[in-house]
Amino acid sequence: MNSRSIRFLTRRGFLAVATAGAAMSLPLRPARAYAVDERTLRAAPAQAQFAGPDRAPTPTWAYNGTVPGPVLRLRQGQPVRITVENSLAEDTTVHWHGIRLPNAMDGVPGLTQPPIAPGASFTYEFTPPDAGTFWYHPHADSLVQLGRGLAGALIVEEAEPVAFDRDLIWLLQDWRLAAAGRIAGGFGSAMDASMSGRVGNLVTVNGTAQAVQSVKAGERVRLRLANAALARMMALRFEGHRPVIMAIDGQPCEPHEPEDGRLVLAPAMRVDIVLDMQGKPGGRYRVIDDFYDSLAYTLATLAYDKAAPLRAHPPDAPAALPRNPLPEPDLANAVRQEIVLQGGMMGGGKLAGVGGMMGMSGMMGMNMKGMTMPGMNGTPAWAINGVSMTGDGHAGMAPQFTLRRGVTCHLTIRNETAWWHPMHVHGFSLSVLSRNGSPLPHRQWQDTVLLAPKDTVECAFVADNPGDWMLHCHVADHQMAGLMTVFRVT
Amino acid sequence: MKLTYALTAIGLAVATPLSALAATIDAVMYKNPQCSCCEAYAAYLEQNGFKVDIKPVNNLSQISSDAGVPADLEGCHTIMVDGYVVDGLVPVEIVKKLLTERPAITGITLAGMPAGAPGMGGEKSETWTIYAFTKDGKAPTVYATE
Repeated sequence: MNSRSIRFLTRRGFLAVATAGAAMSLPLRPARAYAVDERTLRAAPAQAQFAGPDRAPTPTWAYNGTVPGPVLRLRQGQPVRITVENSLAEDTTVHWHGIRLPNAMDGVPGLTQPPIAPGASFTYEFTPPDAGTFWYHPHADSLVQLGRGLAGALIVEEAEPVAFDRDLIWLLQDWRLAAAGRIAGGFGSAMDASMSGRVGNLVTVNGTAQAVQSVKAGERVRLRLANAALARMMALRFEGHRPVIMAIDGQPCEPHEPEDGRLVLAPAMRVDIVLDMQGKPGGRYRVIDDFYDSLAYTLATLAYDKAAPLRAHPPDAPAALPRNPLPEPDLANAVRQEIVLQGGMMGGGKLAGVGGMMGMSGMMGMNMKGMTMPGMNGTPAWAINGVSMTGDGHAGMAPQFTLRRGVTCHLTIRNETAWWHPMHVHGFSLSVLSRNGSPLPHRQWQDTVLLAPKDTVECAFVADNPGDWMLHCHVADHQMAGLMTVFRVT
Repeated sequence: MKLTYALTAIGLAVATPLSALAATIDAVMYKNPQCSCCEAYAAYLEQNGFKVDIKPVNNLSQISSDAGVPADLEGCHTIMVDGYVVDGLVPVEIVKKLLTERPAITGITLAGMPAGAPGMGGEKSETWTIYAFTKDGKAPTVYATE
């Protein structure tokens, strides 16, 4: 694990310290024999062309000028230093979503680091223990910064390479565009906050609407899907193909086909699939998202070139990916904790009196002109165990529960609301044990666990990483409006 | 759900005299695809002489904002009817009053989802204020209370 001591230093300051340390103790530090991977991400306003050069460009916020940000390819077990420069007009941070790392590198403003002020920079340093598909995004003013485009894929390559004909990443973003291709205002609307969040009207694959993916007949592709949307749930069907799920949220599972061939991908979730390209040379096949009733659309098209198939017969069923070094929960001696999700529209008044922050009867009857509507601009519309923590993270967030380092936590998450919630736990991957009483069959580990309305999910993890960690819904409006909590590992 | 409304509509057609049928008012409802209260409200309007075309949309707050509904007075769905915007769970008598009086406004709204309102469960526990709004930047005014 990396030292916490660098948390308040800029990159220059850190390098100075590191150099001095190296000079003094070089003979004792054989670890310096390998080069530390150095990267830079600069967050700044940019322009994007979602629908080709003929259409008006959309002003966005972007990392290194591109939407999405550059794909960061790291190597399992190899240290990396990523300097984030803030050229926005507001504070930012970066959260390395799904990576198990030291708390001070987790990117939550107020909780794990001071925010990066405009013009300032911060160097994140960690060593990814797990190979897989992850992503990075801001954790400050999340609704606006993510909604304006700040997101990128983070791929940790296996220490021992795993062979496929090709390895592709699709980072999916959802945009709410207004006239002339501009990003619509109205972030923090009460209805978005207390219903399904700010779902947009244009979905892009790696920054392109109506994406066309060229493929070759007979090839076996590892396709990494990452949902970087603010709020849009997706359910993907691959016309004429049979995707096999290899990993969820970066963590390998037993290879299996999704139920009904429909791949559900909630905001912040990642799924690695193997696609055997068994379509016809020259053929075109749609990838359809039909999550929302009567609002299905074509996300992308697989376009086969005309070449003869790469191989005569499809390869054998794909072997499972190598497992990551996750600590195995000790369920017999686990500490039990329960998280109950409350509030939202049609919530049956469950939010009445929540947190004592305001008269939440407003949730059910708010005709008081002049009072703020629940959920509007980050006022509470949701709660966890009766408490609404709003915003993106700030100092003084009292932990909901505390775990002694090393214990297994058996965590029950119960959704009392009428809405879907992808619940993200920082710093850990959870072994998902059961959903509504039925065991999960494919040995799934996830950092973002989707709960349908009224679902109850049981999971477990070993509290092996000290710090104050966030647990929140990754529908950004829901998080901002109170569906967030913190737990402590001592 | 849609089938239910279709059947309701057929039921109305059978049971309603021709003169009343001719007066059916067409309305278009934009609603969140996952909100069921709005569908109950649509059924309520259909029982009261309207024909409601339900359009599920993911960007309801954008449609409502474009329609001129003030952000702090958003209802849970947006209806376009006879040249007006009716936002939220407004009782049908007030909608009919609007369509009869035809004031020079953009529309009316009942903010949020008050208990006891048409389409909602529960008991009415407070006075509802239905606001009139325009698109000329003027402050909303009280159109009716219930």
